[in-house]
Amino acid sequence: MLEVDHISFSYGYHKVLDGVTFDVAPGEIVALMGPNGAGKTTLMKILACLLMQDVGSVRLDMIDPLVRPVKYRRNLGYLSEHCPLYSEMTVESYLTYRVRLKGERAMRVRRRVSEAMEMCDLGAVGKTRLRLLSNGYRKRVGLADALIAHPKLLLLDDLLAGLDVGQRKKAAAVMSAASSRASVVVSGHEIHEMIDWCTRFLVLKRGHVVAMYRTCDYTRDELKRMLELQIVSNGDGEVNP
Amino acid sequence: MTAIQVTWLREVRAFRGAFSCGVPVTAFLAVCGWMFVMLLRRNEGSVLQIQSIWGLSIAPWLPILSAVLTMRLFAEERSSGMIDLLMSSPIRERELVIGKFLSAVTVIAVSLTLSLIVPMLVLPSLSTPMRGMARSVAFASTFLILFLQSSTWCAAGTMISVFFRNQAAAAVSSLVLCSGVPMVVYGVILAWMPGVRSEVAWMPLLVHVYDFSTGLFSTSVIALYVATTLFFLFGCSKLLACLRVRG
Repeated sequence: MLEVDHISFSYGYHKVLDGVTFDVAPGEIVALMGPNGAGKTTLMKILACLLMQDVGSVRLDMIDPLVRPVKYRRNLGYLSEHCPLYSEMTVESYLTYRVRLKGERAMRVRRRVSEAMEMCDLGAVGKTRLRLLSNGYRKRVGLADALIAHPKLLLLDDLLAGLDVGQRKKAAAVMSAASSRASVVVSGHEIHEMIDWCTRFLVLKRGHVVAMYRTCDYTRDELKRMLELQIVSNGDGEVNP
Repeated sequence: MTAIQVTWLREVRAFRGAFSCGVPVTAFLAVCGWMFVMLLRRNEGSVLQIQSIWGLSIAPWLPILSAVLTMRLFAEERSSGMIDLLMSSPIRERELVIGKFLSAVTVIAVSLTLSLIVPMLVLPSLSTPMRGMARSVAFASTFLILFLQSSTWCAAGTMISVFFRNQAAAAVSSLVLCSGVPMVVYGVILAWMPGVRSEVAWMPLLVHVYDFSTGLFSTSVIALYVATTLFFLFGCSKLLACLRVRG
């Protein structure tokens, strides 16, 4: 279970996150939504141990990343917004490298790589160099990397960006399968698609959580309308032009 | 496999196919071979032994090779964004730093070994007294001091590359730190204190090479290079940790 408690973070004098609090249970897929600059990527980076919060705490199964960073990161799968990869490696060698780096036992390495490749439908490009892959395939390699060590917390920053309709559906299916053993936090702007598979929506605006909706409490249309209204309104109840 | 081994293996493989490794190593070997032959001809009949000539022909170029090899270690990761994936992996900063540092040192060790080819080719054509002086132990001790020096330059270069996203800027800064700063300090000391000229006739870094090549081992010199290397590696891992604080 991921617990985020009153997280605040500033870049210099510019406050990016202010008192963000929420939790994610195993099996949940929580969507972080909000306009550009709301603090979604910063929050993701704090959860991925890439930034250190000024105030507040993060705990995953009671493990504080500031106290036991390696143990926390062992349970983490992270897909970065820009999905960087080593372009000179092949898909298979890259995933093998990553699973070894995550401390997987030697006897399980091949199994984990083939599982992740199968899950993300990468079998056809296993021997292809990463620099030759399209953006969609690169994203799938990044997703396979995030899933490969069976993490307890899956952080997917802008997962659907750059994917076509078919790949988005496939990514959603992969994530739903992965959520059976992990807490998933995913950020993005694709409300229409995310409504289908997210269990909860958190709307961030100017570093604050301004709304939280459970998918099961609303109909699809109600939820979509409320989310759109929350994201485009300027915070005073008015709607931005 | 430990995280250090995994990182080392990946970096060595990346070096093997990298343009920024093959070209500098080839240029290094060519320049060192040429300089060795020139020094050998110039010092004919002098007291300089062949292993000293070999060591002195290589030592000035090591900071350049080290700077070029280490420039990409972290600068490339930062520019591509891979640093985010590495830092979110369950490895300690020091393991990452040591793995990358060892890969650069491995390439340097291979280059040093290859640079022995020219002396070995030249050796049979030398006069009998000079051939008699060339002992494998003397070459080994020269190799040791060159290896220690290059380890220090590599550690400095690894640390410098954390500061930059641009590889060229990292290489230039590393070169200034490893080669420029010692030369400036040496020049300033000689300019301000002409009295020490007789005592410090050669730059201390070259003196260390000469001393080791003639069998004058010094544990303090070894300790100096090891301590400096560890200092730079420690600094590098702390700099990486600082990236977490401010991004």
